[in-house]
Amino acid sequence: MSHLIIQDLHKSFGDLRALQGVDMVVEKGEFFVLLGPSAAGKTTTLRMVCGIERADQGRVVFDGEDVTGAEVRGRDMAMVFQTFALYPHMTIFDNLAYPLRQSGMAKADVVQRVNEVAEMLRLGHTLARKPGTASGGEQQRVAIGRALVRRPSLLLLDEPLTNLDAKLRFDTRAEFKRLHRELGMTIVYATPDELEALSMGQRIALLRGGRIVQTGTPDELYTKPQDTYVAGMVGSPKVNLIPAIRRGADDAPLVEMPFGAVQNGPWADALKPFPVGSELIFGFRPHDVAPATDTGGDDGDGGGTMRIAAKVHLIEPLGDVVILDLTAGETQLKMVLPEEQAIRYSVGDDVPVNLRVENSFLFARETGTAIC
Amino acid sequence: MNKPVTNVASASADLSRTPAASNNVTDNTITPAGGKSMRDFWQWMFSPERRGAMLVAPALIMLFLMNIFPLMWSFGLSFFHYKASSIRPPRFAGFYYYEKVLTDPVVWERLQTTAQIVALSVLLQMVIGFAMALMFEKKFPFRRELLMLVLTPMMLSFVAVGVFFKLFYEPTFGILSQGYAYFFGEPLTLLATKWGAIWAIVIADAWMWSPFVMLLVLAGLVSVPDYLYEAAAVDRASWWRRFKTVTFPYVRGLLLLALLFRTIETFKIFDVVYIITAGGPGTSTETIAVYVYKVAFQFFKTSQSSALSYILLFVVIVLTNLYLYFVNRRNEEI
Ligand SMILES: Nc1ncnc2c1ncn2[C@@H]1O[C@H](COP(=O)(O)OP(=O)(O)OP(=O)(O)O)[C@@H](O)[C@H]1O
Ligand SMILES: [Mg+2]
Repeated sequence: MSHLIIQDLHKSFGDLRALQGVDMVVEKGEFFVLLGPSAAGKTTTLRMVCGIERADQGRVVFDGEDVTGAEVRGRDMAMVFQTFALYPHMTIFDNLAYPLRQSGMAKADVVQRVNEVAEMLRLGHTLARKPGTASGGEQQRVAIGRALVRRPSLLLLDEPLTNLDAKLRFDTRAEFKRLHRELGMTIVYATPDELEALSMGQRIALLRGGRIVQTGTPDELYTKPQDTYVAGMVGSPKVNLIPAIRRGADDAPLVEMPFGAVQNGPWADALKPFPVGSELIFGFRPHDVAPATDTGGDDGDGGGTMRIAAKVHLIEPLGDVVILDLTAGETQLKMVLPEEQAIRYSVGDDVPVNLRVENSFLFARETGTAIC
Repeated sequence: MNKPVTNVASASADLSRTPAASNNVTDNTITPAGGKSMRDFWQWMFSPERRGAMLVAPALIMLFLMNIFPLMWSFGLSFFHYKASSIRPPRFAGFYYYEKVLTDPVVWERLQTTAQIVALSVLLQMVIGFAMALMFEKKFPFRRELLMLVLTPMMLSFVAVGVFFKLFYEPTFGILSQGYAYFFGEPLTLLATKWGAIWAIVIADAWMWSPFVMLLVLAGLVSVPDYLYEAAAVDRASWWRRFKTVTFPYVRGLLLLALLFRTIETFKIFDVVYIITAGGPGTSTETIAVYVYKVAFQFFKTSQSSALSYILLFVVIVLTNLYLYFVNRRNEEI
């Protein structure tokens, strides 16, 4: 059964149309990520799910029940606010215990449960203090703990990791996954960070300007982006997008780029109806580019790969991998290599590279939508 | 380089002299001898380095003459045998009057009456003020207009309030008595019994000062951030618990301040009591302030009333310091 269904949600703040028809379905026990840049409407969506904000239009169905206009209190949900919203005059212990005390739980149980959560989030040493004296990361963990402590069936998380340092963010990410697995709760997780989304989400909804652009598994978003925006948003380093023109015969289309032409991509059939001369965008991941070995490769008409004569323009080491910015004629593209391979190159070197065409994307340039 | 500068300087000097010179002419026609020295005097008085001091001087002089000097004078008198109504010079008495006042059962009785009025009135103000603040926290039509109306009693003078209520309570034509007569057939003489009179005073005072408590509490209520209410809603807090754990902590400090402030003020209550009951029936609503007034200006026991006043001043200072302590603590909290 679907745990949470959102249908055609609209919300305006004065003239500003924050949400313009958001639809999504979250299955029971799913880890669902709401991915979108700042001001996309993530917080607004979550606030309407838990009932703090009233929708202008649309429905929220939770546990098979229409809760669109219902009280906040009736819903078995918890939320981690982006701004924490901790109770400033209570100790951290009392903050964590707050949702439990309402339910009339025995004192000893409350203490035990709070201690469990505090230990998991490494908050033990702060319990007696007020939130104002805790660091940003500690405050964020208190907010997370307060949401977890009641073990709600649906957990709404609004950018819960933004204030943590890299290590803690990594650990807490793992912690969320473990919690999700062990407690079996449904999680809706809002984040602007594509890496978080890909690493945690079972499904991701990509939000942009108050609309959902694409919903799918991380793999689907990565391999079948519906438009250039999704392609650019998902995957790091960013996808290479090269302006191209449709050439070739009606039934044997060819995609012409400044540094060469390709055919026989996964998009080949879909491209046939497009008239010759249509403006396109050709996309491929930096991971699908590799230095050409002298023997292998061809120049595109063989189908598997395409050879590009490129020059190293810039080297960005990222620890275990290195991003190489290449130029092929006037065009720029990126390639990712493991560190031990990358040390062979220095700026200005000529590098012939092979591009794996089977993983490439094609978009109409005007609309940005995928051709496939 | 030098020349233009001197030019400017002399020009501005000329400018400043012109109006003064014309004054001089008129001065001359009235007081031919004093004209020039007058002008010098004014210029000296209002030269920039002296202007500020000169402008506050009249207020300071008034304050000293009307407040500080009498205060110290009466403090001195409280250690002497002295009656303002007799021409006998003061004789030193030491702590005689302080001892007399503190052992006087009448004083304790008056303090008790005062305490009863303070307790009832302040309690009523707190309850009504709080309830009104809760009401005005919400948005509703004509909220601003209503708020202004509710605040007016606070801005009236004590005497006006006293007179209003005296007329309300008046047994033959007062609105209260007439309303009572309409339902029960006989007029109401509220001020005839001790407790009737006490309530009459308490209601007048509470009517006047509940808005003050409301203002303070309202300030606390609107300072509660919305997100805390949202968090409490998500944490499923009941209305009562939300009030207790989220709202009240923001109001507590201000409520305490209102309590202390109103206690201090009501402790000194005089005008309203004096006008409505003049301490009657008998002496049953004679507050300590009314008593001091009677001792000083009806019996002319000047020394004794001074001593009593200083004992009261001491009480008020203690309460005020308590008040300031809480004000400071609240400032630190926020
Ligand atoms: N209470 C409000 N009043 C007016 N405008 C609002 C309000 N709440 C949100 N908005 C606007 O709605 C849009 C969506 O806001 P929202 O907070 O949902 O974005 P978000 O995706 O959470 O962004 P971020 O990642 O920065 O938190 C923004 O343009 C924001 O300015
Ligand atoms: Mg947000």
